[in-house]
Amino acid sequence: MSQLPLEGVKVVDFAQVFAGPACTRILADLGADVIRFEAPGRMDVTRNLIITDNDGIDHHWLRSSYFVIRNANKRGMLVDLSKPEALEAVRKLASEADVVTESFTPRVMANFGLNYEKIIETNPNVIMCSLSGYGQTGPMRDNSAYGMGLEPGSGLSSITGYKGGPPMRSGLSFTDPYSGFIGAGAILTALQYRRRTGKGQYIDLSEQEAAIPIVGAAILEHEMTGRVPERIGNRSAWAAPQGAYKCAGDDRWAVISVTNDAEFGRMAEAMGHAEWKDDLRFATVLARHENHDALDALITEWTSARDHYDVMHTLQKAGVKAAAVLDGKEILFDPHFKARGQFDVLEQPKLGKRPIPRHVAAKFGRFEAKATKHAPTLGEHNDEVLKEIGYTDEAIAAMKESGAIGTEPTLAVPANLVSMALKLPYDRYIEHGILQAIEPDYREQLGIAD
Amino acid sequence: MAERALDGLRVVDISQGIAGPYATKLLADSGATVTKVEPPGGDYSRRLGPFPADIPDPEKSGLYIHLNTSKRSVTLDVSVASGQVVLKKLLANADVFVVGEKASTLKAWGLAYDDVKAEFPDLVFAQVSPFGATGPYADYDGNSLTAMAMSTIMYNTGAPDREPLVTGGEPGEYIAGVQLWIGILAALENRATNGGGDYVDVAMSDAVACADEYNSAMYAFQGAIRRRYYSRHIFGYPNDIMACEDGHVVVIPGAAGFRSPLQPDTVSPMALLLENVELDDMPLFSQMGERMIRWQEFEGLMEPYLSTHSAMEIVMTAQALRLPFAFVPNVSDLLEDEHLTARAFFEKVESAAGEMTIPGQPYKMSVTSPKATAAPARGSANEAVLAGELGYSKDDLNIMSDRGVI
Repeated sequence: MSQLPLEGVKVVDFAQVFAGPACTRILADLGADVIRFEAPGRMDVTRNLIITDNDGIDHHWLRSSYFVIRNANKRGMLVDLSKPEALEAVRKLASEADVVTESFTPRVMANFGLNYEKIIETNPNVIMCSLSGYGQTGPMRDNSAYGMGLEPGSGLSSITGYKGGPPMRSGLSFTDPYSGFIGAGAILTALQYRRRTGKGQYIDLSEQEAAIPIVGAAILEHEMTGRVPERIGNRSAWAAPQGAYKCAGDDRWAVISVTNDAEFGRMAEAMGHAEWKDDLRFATVLARHENHDALDALITEWTSARDHYDVMHTLQKAGVKAAAVLDGKEILFDPHFKARGQFDVLEQPKLGKRPIPRHVAAKFGRFEAKATKHAPTLGEHNDEVLKEIGYTDEAIAAMKESGAIGTEPTLAVPANLVSMALKLPYDRYIEHGILQAIEPDYREQLGIAD
Repeated sequence: MAERALDGLRVVDISQGIAGPYATKLLADSGATVTKVEPPGGDYSRRLGPFPADIPDPEKSGLYIHLNTSKRSVTLDVSVASGQVVLKKLLANADVFVVGEKASTLKAWGLAYDDVKAEFPDLVFAQVSPFGATGPYADYDGNSLTAMAMSTIMYNTGAPDREPLVTGGEPGEYIAGVQLWIGILAALENRATNGGGDYVDVAMSDAVACADEYNSAMYAFQGAIRRRYYSRHIFGYPNDIMACEDGHVVVIPGAAGFRSPLQPDTVSPMALLLENVELDDMPLFSQMGERMIRWQEFEGLMEPYLSTHSAMEIVMTAQALRLPFAFVPNVSDLLEDEHLTARAFFEKVESAAGEMTIPGQPYKMSVTSPKATAAPARGSANEAVLAGELGYSKDDLNIMSDRGVI
């Protein structure tokens, strides 16, 4: 295997949930040795999310798809930091790290003596990155924050929504992965500086701030015109027609975006309506913006008789921007994502083979930033990591004995009850349209059955 | 001038629009010398606006001013042979070359990676395009909308009885730009440790797919196919934007907001917030599956409190109860926000439209914090770069200018 760029870089990772783990997944995919920490009474909460087969059976913390897809290529330790010997081991790891990452609110790391000021006493050139909701300073620094609040908090929701409707969120915690990506780029930037000067530094990443540049055009529009941009659905000041158009089949859609007259002409011809080019309602950019509703109705007549992929391919081959709106199943079978290797199939303990999505989008000529190692089970690498920093078998056994390290969570109630409580009423979700379908033979379809 | 993280890094950028320019803005604000090569008519973002008083002016485009800080601008027609010769002279002094064209266009110009790698073996050649340089859709065209569509995010955003909804602000472009930035830095890291330049190929569709939270995972691990349902998470409701007395708030109960079915005797923070502890005894209130399915009834329980309190009161009270509620600011609110002001987030830059406040840096660093300086006027570095660095004479520049090369 070819060498990866971050081989030899040690990352001590206290990040939890989504944003931080997305950041360190990128570092791990680039070859860094990422060791992440959980506590017996405080596992990463995503070990409770999207449990494999939604079956309510035991050991749910090893069966969370949410955790598994974001923590591939990392090593994991389960340490109880209320035990001095555990804290000592973690501090030793931090003192030898190239990079330390964390995603708590500002006071938590200081309580363990793992804040930047403390770590640089023994590791002066470390790069430390704190990823938090609102940053390390300012009046909202201590606000507790979830990703679903930070997309609206960055202003994005104020320009997302149907025309005349309320502000809306994306159907995922959008700014979480986005700020995780920003964190990875910031750490890579700091590594460049350290390579040149030997100096480390501290990175303060506010998830709210990270996403605000995305609304940059709207901010400048406000400054330049005094307007506060409104919600306009899928339309754009920069393209007309633009929208999501109904296709044949149940809830199938394709997007189309036409920038200029030439592209509009190609679209009209591809749809068998060359006459639209001479129709005064549509012939010019301004006319298309003006008569967008009428044009949408005509386009829908054409798209609604066709499969969404047919719409995409027919229009793209004619030189028109278009794409099928894919669901969570279709993306796994799409020829483009297959050809470009978006999913790496890994063997995950207890779960068998599973497709794991990439976190680094770039394809490189000299190396591949892909998932090669399964996400750690709870405390999977306790012994291995402690031995690497000089602990004897006896010392490790003593730590197990005292509960300083372990492989089982401490739960307030019996594990089987928690597992049952995490089972979601999917049959009722289907009835209400919250889920489109459940396909019990999905592993055969994906070619990953045992 | 203060030391920056990427001082000494030399970047030549022929990309236009948002994705490529945002990647090179992130490099330039950290100290890289980014030579932005624009077609003689200028980067097309100069035509997109917004503009002061809505009067188009290529030097006053808000989008351009936002995305091209700290760069220098050279105009050059790289689609003709005369321009390609000049470009290759620029590449001889560059560490990174950024392109935003499809592979087929670059090939036609003789500027595909295979055309230049022998001449510039240490160059990091970074390409961002709608569907990437390889694969069945490599020749297809696209933008943020097509990337959001392909990624599954759009299918799961919006109301169940309406069309899927795209997230505002062209996020597909920005995600691709950030992934391109990561790819460039990773290739530079690899050059430093293992030697040699590299080809970095980012597809906008792939970049957005990397941000999928769990749509594909629900199928790959459960056989379940998710559908949009008012932008809600599959594993919990609320967690959505709701109306209040003076606008909207994000109602987020978090991990401990409702009474746990496993600890039936506690009073929940959500019941305390709504000033009605009896709510905890209602399955509609305390059971997640019930809230998700009977959400209209659940909203009826929330409404008396939300409709009589301001966003400020609600978020402050909720946060005091450790409930991670959040505000829903518009762009005007952001510019006046006390927290962002205290953190000195926004930056001011000079421009032909006067001093402009632009979104600040997405991260802060203790030693080499990135910082923006003004975006360049079109071709303002022609003389400095072409004459000063490449050695063209005044006559040469006049000839190229007459023929529309620069």
